[in-house]
Amino acid sequence: MTAVETGRHHTSYRSELRLWHTRPQFVRMAVLAVIVLTLPLLLDNYWLSLANTAMIAAIGAIGLNILVGYTGQISLGQGGFLAVGAFTSAILTDRLGMPAPVSIIGAILLTAAVGVIVGLPALRLKGLYLAIATLASQMVILFIVRRWGFLTEGQGFLDVARLEVFGFRLDRASFEQQWYMILLVITVLAALTATNLFRTGMGRSFMAVRDQDIAASAMGVNLTRAKLTAFAVSNGYVGLAGALLAHYTEILSWEKFTIDVSILYLAMIIVGGLGSVAGAVYGAVFMTVLPVVVRSIADVLGGAVPIIKNQLPAVEHGVFGLTIIIFLIFEPRGLNRIWQRLKDWFGFWPFRY
Amino acid sequence: MKHSRHLSAAALTAVAALTLAACGGGGAASADSDEPIPIGVIADLSGATGDVGTPYNEGMLAFVEHVNADGGIEGREIDAISNDYAYEVPQAEELYRRYVNDEVVAIQGWGTGDTEALRTRVANDELPFMSGSFSEELTDPEDSPYNFLVAATYSDQIRAALNWIAEQSDGEEVGVAALHHDSPFGTSPVGDGEEWVEEQGLAIDYSSHAMPSGTTNFAGLLSQVDDAEYIIIQNVASPAAQLARDLAAQGGDQTIVCLNWCGNELFVTAAGDAAEGHVMVQPIAPVSTERPGHEELLAYLEEQGTDPADVTVSFVQGWYAMHVMAEGIRHTLAAGEDLTGAAIRESLETMGPIDTGGVIGDGTVEFSADSHRGSTTSGLYEVKDGQLVVLEEAVNP
Amino acid sequence: MSTFVTLLIIGLSEGAILALAALGFVLIYKATGVINFAQGEFLLIGAYSFYTAFVVMQLPIVVALLVGVLVAVIVGVVVERFILRPMVGQSHISIIMVTIGLASVLSAIVQMFFGTNPRAMPAILPRGSVSILGGTVPVNRLWAIVLCAVVLILLTWFFQKSRHGVAMRAVADDQQAAMTVGISVRRVFALSWALAAVSALIAGVTLADVTTVEMNIVNFGLLVFPVVIMGGLDSVPGTIVGGLTIGLVSQFVSGYMDPGLAEIVPYIVLVLVLLVRPYGVFGEKRIERV
Repeated sequence: MTAVETGRHHTSYRSELRLWHTRPQFVRMAVLAVIVLTLPLLLDNYWLSLANTAMIAAIGAIGLNILVGYTGQISLGQGGFLAVGAFTSAILTDRLGMPAPVSIIGAILLTAAVGVIVGLPALRLKGLYLAIATLASQMVILFIVRRWGFLTEGQGFLDVARLEVFGFRLDRASFEQQWYMILLVITVLAALTATNLFRTGMGRSFMAVRDQDIAASAMGVNLTRAKLTAFAVSNGYVGLAGALLAHYTEILSWEKFTIDVSILYLAMIIVGGLGSVAGAVYGAVFMTVLPVVVRSIADVLGGAVPIIKNQLPAVEHGVFGLTIIIFLIFEPRGLNRIWQRLKDWFGFWPFRY
Repeated sequence: MKHSRHLSAAALTAVAALTLAACGGGGAASADSDEPIPIGVIADLSGATGDVGTPYNEGMLAFVEHVNADGGIEGREIDAISNDYAYEVPQAEELYRRYVNDEVVAIQGWGTGDTEALRTRVANDELPFMSGSFSEELTDPEDSPYNFLVAATYSDQIRAALNWIAEQSDGEEVGVAALHHDSPFGTSPVGDGEEWVEEQGLAIDYSSHAMPSGTTNFAGLLSQVDDAEYIIIQNVASPAAQLARDLAAQGGDQTIVCLNWCGNELFVTAAGDAAEGHVMVQPIAPVSTERPGHEELLAYLEEQGTDPADVTVSFVQGWYAMHVMAEGIRHTLAAGEDLTGAAIRESLETMGPIDTGGVIGDGTVEFSADSHRGSTTSGLYEVKDGQLVVLEEAVNP
Repeated sequence: MSTFVTLLIIGLSEGAILALAALGFVLIYKATGVINFAQGEFLLIGAYSFYTAFVVMQLPIVVALLVGVLVAVIVGVVVERFILRPMVGQSHISIIMVTIGLASVLSAIVQMFFGTNPRAMPAILPRGSVSILGGTVPVNRLWAIVLCAVVLILLTWFFQKSRHGVAMRAVADDQQAAMTVGISVRRVFALSWALAAVSALIAGVTLADVTTVEMNIVNFGLLVFPVVIMGGLDSVPGTIVGGLTIGLVSQFVSGYMDPGLAEIVPYIVLVLVLLVRPYGVFGEKRIERV
């Protein structure tokens, strides 16, 4: 029993629609599940907090990939949308006393609604024009977050109470472990839902819009509906990520939602692979771990080349940019494609193809 | 009373030890260990306030080097782990988590935004936290039990500034515009200033405006405040200097009163001639005032071959922030207690006044269990021929 | 009235600098179809390379300018050759992202060598103030307007009359047709990037002279987007009108309403323009065929 398959041969539509096709795929999933479930026992709090951050980022990146990777509508407004989700959920729980799950659902719905509003211009705009329109939405939302005293009660930042679900309150000692399990469940559900979305007519219509919107409309795809639903669904995910971010970090300020965050998320899906749910997850993990790796390397090399240690923020910034450029030039389809090629290589070995 | 305080300290220590053990940490180091004392430093070197954040950080690290060269505190060296967070709250949180994981005993932070953001966490993790933020909201131990402010709060500084302005005008009503950084740091004293004007019945027409960050000119802002006679700035030196230059270029005759982070030599050099005649409220005495507390610092710098003329007040501020923290640690170790965050807090609250040789406020910094406001005193300076000249010493609001 | 004059002159000077920066962007977009998110960083590189030559290396101002131009041309050509050429044929999302990556790298390089603190540079344009219609106006702002106007006129002349300019316009119109008449598309691509970098250099140095040499120049560069959207992405007169409009609108909002609001007003204007005319005020509607 190997971990890779030799090929896929379907004999029925049912088998083609299955989520996992082959036994090796099943084995890989089982191995992954075991690893993921034992991680909280192996990692210390710092690495667990990174894992938690990466999972929240993964949910947001899946959302962005639905819009950018699958529907072809570029968005520079991710940071602003995260802010909508985060502040909505925080305010609903802390000031209106709603239970956290209800306020998270509220955040998802409101962020989706904001997405539809921002998506309206997308009906007429493409490419650069759309990118700039979403950049404008980022700027305007961030301005509102900074200036609207109501959001933070004039403090400039917002404290969020410790998460409490159905009377169960997370305790401090095993804070990261408990969050890990919560986020793991939500991330897996989010990824499965997204994967299934693209096996439905709606998901397929998104991809038709991406590939050629005029051709898609000639085929009977309702462009208005497809684009607006894509914005809504994508932003629903982003709203979820924002809400989780609020409850997990327990503090909100506008600085978490700047244009840099929008760019970071775009980088995640580029590095992971445009138009792939798994890619979004890989990208989120990669971009979360990258600065930590850069920092460790800087610590090691710092003695020999002091500029790396002294100018760490600049170095991180530069590595971030280089990563995007290198991926786009050498592997535009990202980590997801690299992983597939790796599997193929092992599958066909010793032959080239 | 004293007895119960010791008891509670012991209880706190026990809780801390238990928590650490529960987290799988190595536990608190024992009193007679000679291991280095880890202190986390969250510094802004490259962010929006990097112009003053860099010398502040250098000052802290210089003090650490100085103490270590002298054999450390009670034979233990300080291990200051300093990292840049670029004035971004999320990065400060990330650094904080690393420091907690590295089992630091105390933290030196920087900005108001991140200090307030971390306030509840440092209380939970029992880590004494000092920072470059002198926001009055942090002085109440009820809300922020582990935050300590080494100098007069921004609010006390703006009160001193308003008092001085009212004195200058001899009861005639003057316009004062408070211009501030668009962040929690900037807005911190603005409301307190307005209240002060009302409370004291000062003849001042007070207004406040945010200074947009990343702007190329302040012409628009200046035209909004052109009927004010005084402009109070709560911002860092570079934007304040730009504003002073724009003011001069537009022929404005207002007097600028800089608080704390723009009241320094950097403002003077960056604004050049446009800085002349403007006033500063600064709780830390600049090196040019030659207080006894400066001697140690200058002697150290001479060894390092640094020109004292390059030493800004922000550097002195960093040096003495670390000095106050080190005194707290020294007191804890001298008492033979385990070096935990809770014990250092206890020391700082009970050890009485800490002498700074006339550098901070009226010379001493003192905390108590009811107040973490180390000092209320500032000095007033005027820019004359590119120098900071003392206008009034030891002003209290 | 006096406030109005001051705001008008300062707004015009910022608008003129913006127009110059945006012109570089339009140049690249017209000739190569690339949406350059690193235009602000080109301004930054320009300002800092001039600063290095003029202040750090103490070269005479003319030589320093030449060094700046040289650096700008090299950066432009290298970027075109090694980053954008491999990307030919990729989706516009990928091309936008590669220029965003480039922006990070360029600003990181500047930050590594110069830090983020502002640098003082001796005045190039004359300092001081003059009184115009009761308003006090900094003299260097007036000079900045003149300087940018001259450069804009020169560049417009270059496109209309010179051999290379005509070649660039031909490539922008139809690459294949241009190739058949013997125009080297590669050379035109390189030339566009180099010219864009040079116009960014002039804009960057002018901006640094009326303000300071600092990283904030990048934020100013972000404003080229509202400008080019207003101008319609492929029209030189449109870009100039767009630049002046954005410069004036944000200055007046800053002076008469709220300086904080002034930072996002360009984007609000942009959304309004897009709602009414999805191809900008001066842009042409493109007809797409499947």
